[in-house]
Amino acid sequence: MKSLTINHLSKTYFDPYAAKHVTAVQDVSLDVPEGEFVAIVGPSGCGKTTILNMIAGFLPASGGDIIVDSRKVSGPGPDRGVVFQSHALFPWKTVLENVAFGPKMRGVGLKEREEIARDYLALAGLSHAAERYPNELSGGMQQRVGVVRALANEPAVLLMDEPFASVDAQTRMTLQEELTRIWQARRPTILFITHDVPEAVFLANRVVVLSKGRVLEEVEIDLPRPRSWDAMMDDERFKTLSARVLQLVRAA
Amino acid sequence: MSEAVAVNPALRLWSGYLRLVARHPVIGSVVPFLPLIALWAIVVEAGVFPRAFFPGPVDVFHSFVDLTRKGILPAYLADSIVRLAVGAAAGMVAGILLGLLVGLNERAHRALWPVLLFFQAIGDIAWLPLLIIWFGFGLETMTFVIVYTVLFPVVLNTVLGVRSIPLDLHRAAQSLGAPRWRILTEVVLPGALPNIITGLRNGLGYGWRALIAAEMIVGTSGVGFMMFDARRAGSVVEILLGMIILGLLWYAVDALILAPIERATGQRWGMVAR
Repeated sequence: MKSLTINHLSKTYFDPYAAKHVTAVQDVSLDVPEGEFVAIVGPSGCGKTTILNMIAGFLPASGGDIIVDSRKVSGPGPDRGVVFQSHALFPWKTVLENVAFGPKMRGVGLKEREEIARDYLALAGLSHAAERYPNELSGGMQQRVGVVRALANEPAVLLMDEPFASVDAQTRMTLQEELTRIWQARRPTILFITHDVPEAVFLANRVVVLSKGRVLEEVEIDLPRPRSWDAMMDDERFKTLSARVLQLVRAA
Repeated sequence: MSEAVAVNPALRLWSGYLRLVARHPVIGSVVPFLPLIALWAIVVEAGVFPRAFFPGPVDVFHSFVDLTRKGILPAYLADSIVRLAVGAAAGMVAGILLGLLVGLNERAHRALWPVLLFFQAIGDIAWLPLLIIWFGFGLETMTFVIVYTVLFPVVLNTVLGVRSIPLDLHRAAQSLGAPRWRILTEVVLPGALPNIITGLRNGLGYGWRALIAAEMIVGTSGVGFMMFDARRAGSVVEILLGMIILGLLWYAVDALILAPIERATGQRWGMVAR
């Protein structure tokens, strides 16, 4: 089962300057079934990135369980692909080598892993950029490659940490539409972190509103797919759902 | 509309020169020296100083041909270059390994960083009195000086490079399934490479100067020895020849080794300014 379950997850750390314990995440439980797209929204400091970092294994949890693919996990692993806000592409590798990196670590041979990488690049319309270095790409292209690199390693769960926060508004809308298209085509299990409410509503099947380290509410997003911004702009249901989530976030 | 403006002949000449240099970069590195050499020749020909005291470019060139024909210059030059290459290679390998350790391991960093800064400040030449007592006038002393000189810039820059790799790149590699030793070869080494090359560039530059100084004091061969020996004989022309060779050799090292490596790595990857 390519699903993600977290039970009673918490994170407490000691702040040596304030000389006290700070609770960043408190008793968060969440279920992302196989093939589901779940978004976590909340204001900055609500603990959403901390949750993602614990799931990814970058930070140890203070309490609770993280279960991926029916197995309890701790520490980073290829079963949880991560897409970073900073794109985190290796500057010294070409786009093709970046995307082929996961398969390379699995021991896949050169020819086969380049084939895998080319397939995934084609999926995102990036075939023409295969031989270029990341610094030669626009911000939007870099993020696309970041998503493709994570997907090409075929993780059980894809963790996305505000991946589109640092690209311009027009590019962001294109990237969001592409992501929904890729999600529909491949149906990866995705946990998406963002502070952007319309983004969360546009992308996800379910939006989890987080406040002060706790789950405030979960909102089902029953919008039809495929979703496009042209259609959503005038969609009453989209407006109602966005307004509802926005209210929750602002109250948070 | 635009062709109505007549182009100034000087501008036309300048534009022709730029196009020529673009096609043959060597010309661009030679031409700036021509006024310098001309000025030198003029001062010499004006007879302001006695010729033996201040020889001209032609005299230096004759000396170059003469010493090359006798085989002295090639032999000394080879001695100096081999010493530099061997010392630099040893200093570089030790420097990169130590730099990786200090850069990656917090405890090693705490323990060694202040010590490294301390010894870096003690200039290579400052070791000479002690080294002469320990090893005498010879190869050991010179090798120590070069290794020491190359080591510190490489260590310090490697540490800087390792520690400047964004945390997200480590995390990305881990999430893509890279085990620790693969992160070393796939992330840490290439990520630190532009800085390592900067360290090498500094190290070689300092090392080259340190070697010449060491050869002057403890050498029995080499370009530095040749220059100091020429002083004893009062041969200004050989001293000038030695100085020019030092400059030319560094120019060659830069153009043939360092610059191409930099173009193919950090500059290509957009990690350092062009």
